[in-house]
Amino acid sequence: MLETASFWVILPILSLSLALSFIRMVLGPTLPDRIIALETIAVISVGMIVVYAIATGEGVLIDLASVWSVVSFLSIIAFAYYIERWRSKL
Amino acid sequence: MIDLLVLALMLAGALFMLVAALGIVRMPDVFMRMSCNAKSVIIGLTLLLLAFTLHFREIGVGSRAVATIAFIALTVPVASHRIGRSAYLRGVKLWDGTIRDELGEALEAARKNGENDADR
Amino acid sequence: MSVFWGNIFLPVVWMALTGKFTLANYFLGFLISSFALWIARPPGEVAFLVYLERLRRWLDFFFFFLWELVVASAQVTYDILTPHHRMRPAVIAIPLDLQTDTEITLLANMITLTPGTLSLDISPQRDILYIHAMYVDDIEEFRHMIKERFEKRVKEVMR
Repeated sequence: MLETASFWVILPILSLSLALSFIRMVLGPTLPDRIIALETIAVISVGMIVVYAIATGEGVLIDLASVWSVVSFLSIIAFAYYIERWRSKL
Repeated sequence: MIDLLVLALMLAGALFMLVAALGIVRMPDVFMRMSCNAKSVIIGLTLLLLAFTLHFREIGVGSRAVATIAFIALTVPVASHRIGRSAYLRGVKLWDGTIRDELGEALEAARKNGENDADR
Repeated sequence: MSVFWGNIFLPVVWMALTGKFTLANYFLGFLISSFALWIARPPGEVAFLVYLERLRRWLDFFFFFLWELVVASAQVTYDILTPHHRMRPAVIAIPLDLQTDTEITLLANMITLTPGTLSLDISPQRDILYIHAMYVDDIEEFRHMIKERFEKRVKEVMR
């Protein structure tokens, strides 16, 4: 039951959220908007990994999720640093 | 029974993520996008990881899930604070409906007094 | 402070001595070591009770924060899902009574974690915190609310 529900209900909802964040990333008038959209995409993909782990019963995938969240945090910090040091206008 | 609970938690988490994504599409300026989206995303991910822990019920897997929750709850606020601060100081416009901007007033006053502003 | 860390690490010694590394054994060791520390302290300084009191305060703080989170996210969710924007955002300066880095970090993180508010910047003298809030009816009232509800709690927990 869990597997069917995950693949037909939960993952489609998450994919819809991914698509919406992607719209903001394309539209976003300024660079910070795009970075926020990117952050949202990263966390949603961590969520997708977790749901996939539940659906398939592979508990090992949690390692993947935690490492991915660490990497995305570092990339966001790097982007923030980049905004602060950038010389031209946003 | 446990399966139903796991399903409910997963659904709630996914809906929170959807609300976060809708929020960043609909909100009018950067700061509001940030303040509504990062938190809904954290709550959603926490619910998903709780469902995960409940589904597997093993101490090794569960402890890693809890560690991931703690890590996300510690780092995402730091990241969004950092982006918000740099966006503000780089001069991203606030929404027209903003009623008061006390940080802008303080920065203006500091500039008038000729204070050294280099470390901002 | 050394009593606190003793209470954390002595159970590990207990586990090593008894040879069973389980959570239940940790709690047993925790109880025994806090009892031992309680006996070892000079009279007038009851470590175990102080520790319980601190635990109660942290739990109190945790549930208060959870409640704030639920209320604020319900408000924001309602605003996202309905077509009209009702928000009145503002950037507000909050004078701080807190002094140490840990306390300020805790307060700023808490403000950022609550949906609808975001901590933006801190003044160079570290006495004013600037936050961006989405639902401000009255600026003075909001400032008072943050000071009364969030800062007081943080002070209670950390002291």
